[in-house]
Amino acid sequence: MKKLIPLAAAAALLLTACSSGNYAATEIPAKPAPSVASVAPPAAQPNCGNPLASYQPDGALPAPGTMPAGTTMAKIKQRGRLIAGVSADSFNLGYRNPVTGQIVGFDIDMINAVADAIFGAPATGQPHKVELRVISSPQRIPTLQAGSVDIVARNMTINCARWQQIAFSAEYYRSGQKTLVQLDSPAKTVADLSGKTICAPAGSTSLDNLKKRNPAVKPITANTDTGCLVLFQQGKADGISGDDTVLAGDVAQDPYAKVLDERFSEEPYGLGIPKQNVDFVKFVNGVLAQMKADGSWMTSYNKWLKPALGELKAPPTPVYGR
Amino acid sequence: MTQTQSAPPATSSPPAQQSSNTPQPPDVRKPGARGIVARWFEGTPGRMRAFLVLAAAVSVVFGLAAAQGFRQSDGALERAEANAAQLVRIQAIHTNLVSANADATNAFLVGGLEPPDQRQHFVDSMASAARLITEASTAQPADQKALAELNTTLIAYGGLIEQARANNRQGLPIGSQYLRDANAVLQNDSLPLVNALVEANEQRVDTEFDNVNYGTIWVVVGGVVALVIFAITLRWLARRSHRYVNVPIAAGALLILLTTIVGGVALSSASGGASSTRDDAYAKTLALSRARIAAYDARSNESLTLIARGSGDAFDKAYNSASATVDDELKKSSSTPDDLTTRWNEYKRIHGKVREADTNGNWDNAVAMAVGTTKENNSVDAFQAFDDSSAEQLQSTSDTVSSELSDTRGGLPPIGWLGLPIGIIAALLVAWGMSQRLEEYR
Repeated sequence: MKKLIPLAAAAALLLTACSSGNYAATEIPAKPAPSVASVAPPAAQPNCGNPLASYQPDGALPAPGTMPAGTTMAKIKQRGRLIAGVSADSFNLGYRNPVTGQIVGFDIDMINAVADAIFGAPATGQPHKVELRVISSPQRIPTLQAGSVDIVARNMTINCARWQQIAFSAEYYRSGQKTLVQLDSPAKTVADLSGKTICAPAGSTSLDNLKKRNPAVKPITANTDTGCLVLFQQGKADGISGDDTVLAGDVAQDPYAKVLDERFSEEPYGLGIPKQNVDFVKFVNGVLAQMKADGSWMTSYNKWLKPALGELKAPPTPVYGR
Repeated sequence: MTQTQSAPPATSSPPAQQSSNTPQPPDVRKPGARGIVARWFEGTPGRMRAFLVLAAAVSVVFGLAAAQGFRQSDGALERAEANAAQLVRIQAIHTNLVSANADATNAFLVGGLEPPDQRQHFVDSMASAARLITEASTAQPADQKALAELNTTLIAYGGLIEQARANNRQGLPIGSQYLRDANAVLQNDSLPLVNALVEANEQRVDTEFDNVNYGTIWVVVGGVVALVIFAITLRWLARRSHRYVNVPIAAGALLILLTTIVGGVALSSASGGASSTRDDAYAKTLALSRARIAAYDARSNESLTLIARGSGDAFDKAYNSASATVDDELKKSSSTPDDLTTRWNEYKRIHGKVREADTNGNWDNAVAMAVGTTKENNSVDAFQAFDDSSAEQLQSTSDTVSSELSDTRGGLPPIGWLGLPIGIIAALLVAWGMSQRLEEYR
């Protein structure tokens, strides 16, 4: 009996200890492992003849506001606005001006011209009849295939692989791939950047070209061009590989960066259009030809791109024959 | 035989015992403690001593058990209150963070020209969150590690937000990317930590609410065991001594019975009080907190949908699920649709207008409603109304939880301190009562 007393006391103490408020430390949730940018090898380009060849316009453009019945343009006219997929963060190409809140740039000028050709030029102070949808680089082809946009103007390179999925307008700008590095970098070409981390937007031709040029660089991807610039500013990327137009925008936002002279690819830009809307491609080609002819193309270039990329003699010549 | 005759007139002692005493020479095991102990419990007086020891020990154990039961319930109530307060604190941190983020994303829609009020609200929310984190980490050491981790992520978040603002202010589009990254840090790094903290503290509150009930078990089981032993003792004694009642021992039993009844009733009413707090005020507090968090989440997603300009389906879905959570939780917080529900429905109505404008391609008008520059259908004012009214209700319900729990604690009789003295008094009564009978054997 006497033995039981200390036992009971010990049990009582034990039970008290169990509920004295000494809780286990709050578990810290495990961080999801960062998805490693597993980059598939660049797919071989299928042969589609000259990728730059687009559909020849059928004669003169119809007058604004009078679209032939049954055409894609008539449908857009009926809807009351052109829906375009654009970038909102490629400085000078398509970007949201934080001060005005408007999306502006070289690409946007092309879209506005197409809209004006359908609806007629808006009165001064009125917006163009365009709904701009901001899309990321990997979203360009899926949104076109789904038909949720009429046209994509988002520094998109024309190539044969993409011709299989969508249609392109005639070339509206000739860009080329360059590399952006820190201002104090001794590198002269991509070959000097072996082992360095270089950023390129996911799903872009820049990524493929970079790996072809120097397989020894460590690629890292971001969803947008600006995403790469953030990685660069945070020191997570040593450089950015991309079109000279995009890099010009990056340098304009970060004076501690420079663009290497080496230009190692040709990037002809086209406006992306759903594959089945051939009538609309022809119409857009007509608009582009008109812009190139009447000088509005050059005005736009001079406004957005000339300060960073220099004088340009003439806009690219359209190739037809598809 | 003369020796046995000199024994007290134990009329009821069986003769067999007497005869068995004789052949057992007491001097054989004279040395050796075992022998002494054995002799101590020998015969009728020995049994009396055995009953005395047993009943006295049980009295003391009962005293300890009663004290333990009360301390358990009292401590559980105290900890439930503290943990509920901690939970409210963590949820306030959560609310402040999502509210700051809603401000930041909404301000982005207006560009570099942030409305000063909104900016101030952002700064205030972040400051309250920082203060609450320190308070919370003092209040609950078990949360310290997670809170430290949370602090680290918030420094990253704050840094990215400021970088976004600086770039925005210079008209550089990279600002939007910093904002997106900041939002990602909050969603992917900070909020999972907050959710883990909420879960851990909800569990602690639940555990303590359960523990309140266990106090009653200690007292009742202790009391019943003690009373059974006392009953056996009294019965045995009555048979041996031919006296119906041994008054001191019966008094001890009565003392234990009273303590058990008073204690049991007090504790079960306390646990009843605690569980009604749990089902009512505490459940309401939880529901309101969750509703507020989901509402801010919905608001952020409204802005993000607009920022994404046409490719914001994912954000719109997130809005819908957050908004459904608000509806559910508001239903839980009050059985009848009240003022708060009306305000939330008004905000939802304006959200519908915003979405309608955006889907019809009138983005500028949608943004104007969302940032509150319109006279009618002003989303900012509607949300503010919901925010103010829900904050007020939350404050009052969480105050109710804490006052109800402290009232319950205050209503407990001081058996936590008196339990052991009561047990000792009962043991002394047993000793007294038994020694009266033992006297007769001297």
